[in-house]
Amino acid sequence: MYSSSRPDSSLLYRDFQCSQLVIFTGVNSGYMLGKGAKRKHEENEDELEGAAPAPASGEPADGPSKASYTLQRQTIFNMSLMKLYSQRAPADASLERRVLINNMLRRIQDELKQEGALRPLLLPASSPPEDPADEGFREAQPAFAVPAAPDSCLTPASLLEDDTSLFCTSPPPHGPPRPAPQAAKDSFSSALDEIEELCPATATTSPSDGTPSAPLSTEAQSKDKNGSQRPGGSASPAEERTSAADPAPPNGLDMSPSAPPSSSPSSSSGFLTDLALDDILFADIDTSMYDFDPCTSGAGAGPPKVAPVVTADDLVKTLSPYSGGSPSSGPSQPFKMDLAELDHIMEVLVGS
Amino acid sequence: MQSVVQTAGAGGGSNDVQWCFSQVKGAIDDDVAEADIISTVEFNHSGELLATGDKGGRVVIFQQEQETKGQPHSRGEYNVYSTFQSHEPEFDYLKSLEIEEKINKIRWLPQKNAAQFLLSTNDKTIKLWKISERDKRPEGYNLKEEDGRYRDPSTVTTLRVPVFRPMDLMVEASPRRVFANAHTYHINSISVNSDYETYLSADDLRINLWHLEITDRSFNIVDIKPANMEELTEVITAAEFHPNQCNTLVYSSSKGTIRLCDMRAAALCDKHSKLFEEPEDPSNRSFFSEIISSISDVKFSHNGRYMMTRDYLSVKIWDLNMENRPVETYQVHEYLRSKLCSLYENDCIFDKFECCWNGNDSVVMTGSYNNFFRMFERGHRRDLTLEASRESSKPRAVLKPRKVCAGGKRKKDEISVDSLDFNKKILHTAWHPQDNIIAVATTNNLYIFQDKMN
Repeated sequence: MYSSSRPDSSLLYRDFQCSQLVIFTGVNSGYMLGKGAKRKHEENEDELEGAAPAPASGEPADGPSKASYTLQRQTIFNMSLMKLYSQRAPADASLERRVLINNMLRRIQDELKQEGALRPLLLPASSPPEDPADEGFREAQPAFAVPAAPDSCLTPASLLEDDTSLFCTSPPPHGPPRPAPQAAKDSFSSALDEIEELCPATATTSPSDGTPSAPLSTEAQSKDKNGSQRPGGSASPAEERTSAADPAPPNGLDMSPSAPPSSSPSSSSGFLTDLALDDILFADIDTSMYDFDPCTSGAGAGPPKVAPVVTADDLVKTLSPYSGGSPSSGPSQPFKMDLAELDHIMEVLVGS
Repeated sequence: MQSVVQTAGAGGGSNDVQWCFSQVKGAIDDDVAEADIISTVEFNHSGELLATGDKGGRVVIFQQEQETKGQPHSRGEYNVYSTFQSHEPEFDYLKSLEIEEKINKIRWLPQKNAAQFLLSTNDKTIKLWKISERDKRPEGYNLKEEDGRYRDPSTVTTLRVPVFRPMDLMVEASPRRVFANAHTYHINSISVNSDYETYLSADDLRINLWHLEITDRSFNIVDIKPANMEELTEVITAAEFHPNQCNTLVYSSSKGTIRLCDMRAAALCDKHSKLFEEPEDPSNRSFFSEIISSISDVKFSHNGRYMMTRDYLSVKIWDLNMENRPVETYQVHEYLRSKLCSLYENDCIFDKFECCWNGNDSVVMTGSYNNFFRMFERGHRRDLTLEASRESSKPRAVLKPRKVCAGGKRKKDEISVDSLDFNKKILHTAWHPQDNIIAVATTNNLYIFQDKMN
């Protein structure tokens, strides 16, 4: 059920942000493209490349260009982190290169911080900003209000706040060592917790003093993997919440293996408090999530047969806007989406 | 503002000149041994000698043949004159780091006697090498046989004075000075002062002043290391002494600034006398603005009135009297501006291209990708793109100008940006101090081109 292969990741990648696939397959190759070879995703790539330069002030007015700017910034942030933390021979590390990459990270951090102070939680995606979070959370709500009404009136934001407190107290940048893929969780709500986790996680990396996504995503991942066990002090509250929920195939909604690393540009400030960029930079970070293991398809083919308010695809898209962009996480990544389980979850959410 | 001085024998503009292939040095096969990667190229002051350094720590010196009466239409060829191992790999036990033997820079000293002297440096240590010729040897020793064995004293019955007799030319290189342990960071530049007694060495954060005779001591003249290394945002990328004024030096930074310092002002030249910086063009701003503004090379003009800087996409010429903007800017490969994200991803954006002036400061040259190199003719505002490749390597074959198609319809003979080979980069070029002879280093080959003489 939870094989280490990543089911639909390739599909997910291709679903959007195709250009990012082009970028990340070119690591360390002197060739940007094959000599004379025709490029497939040229337009997307150019779009990404040519995405609006850092706006002189404020944000671009229109959605799409802001989204592409955000996407480019995200990509560059990921790349920069990877460059600084990949296991390279010390001889390679020129001080100038490290300083320039560090400056890049700091600049993006500052930008994100500024934006985080201005805007509420925003998950970049094709859909309007608030919806993804809402949808994600709308799905989560029923777990706690026992009758699973999809249009529960609990506000995502408040719940988000609650969640983030758990993250604020989260542990050091070190990701806990990855255990082998866990057996299926049997708590449905713990799966939903993960969704909640992932949603705020997508927004968290922006604010505060330059916290790269890596630590947070590693936490999210380890959460995914360790089932109900969360690193650090956040374990117990989650446990308490999950205990009340119905058992259900877990991990069904584990689609975004990594909280999109350093994802959304905005976020409520204070999601992550005192992780200074420099702590991260000089700490030992588990970067296996940046391994370039190609995702192998496994989770099956199409969307669930049931057509609920929110389809699996939508959920996936909203939850992992950038997971298409980041190199897929380590081998133990929970792209453990089993669509049969997803179907089941959907039935629970929509039906009854 | 520009003065183009035509001196007898000096080359004219690049477009009056037709560049021809002359020679290529190095292995032919495409499998490049890492140690053979050329890391620096430098003509000496007369142009008779051409030195290259490689990643394996070796220095190879070529000497130009005297022009023979039989071939008045071509300049002398460069043949190997001397080869020696300048630096060996070392291990820093304290930091557990290997110190590469790669030769970062070679600088020739002006010739004072029969021997030649050059400074070569790796990341940590500078060495002064003496290259001398030996074409005679003493023969007729009293106590030794010709092969060196000592004679049995009882057989010595006469006395004679040994005589010098000609022998095959032997070129010897011997290390005369080793300047070590003065740099914590990696040395990127060395520059001999016009007083011919001192020289500077620059690493990422500091510049030291040495006397050529004294190896156990150097003066630190620039130090930009912050108290807290976490606040480090800028490093020194290149430094050079002024060609005429022995008190003046410049150093460039990773933020695109150049500082001119006067050593008379203070012992520590942290306060610059002049700061050269061009304000950023807001329409070109991107995430990569800072990285592409990092200056990879700075060179004074021969007449000392200008300096040239190379950043990732352009070459800029500055008048030393004007700090707020360069007097000329030449785009080397502007078509790469839309590819910066990919170039960042594959690290090409960190490539350090060098640049050089021709003998009369009328033309500047720098390298690019796909084994292309570019020349910019200052007076006529003309530019030329040529390629260093085995295909155009027939003796005295005229090089065909190349063109990169940035977008739209590709014309015949143009090369599209997407087919450029970013593994083939020309980082090091050198121009003969008087004639139109250039040395262009590809990854592991050295190409020598000269102008077509009619």
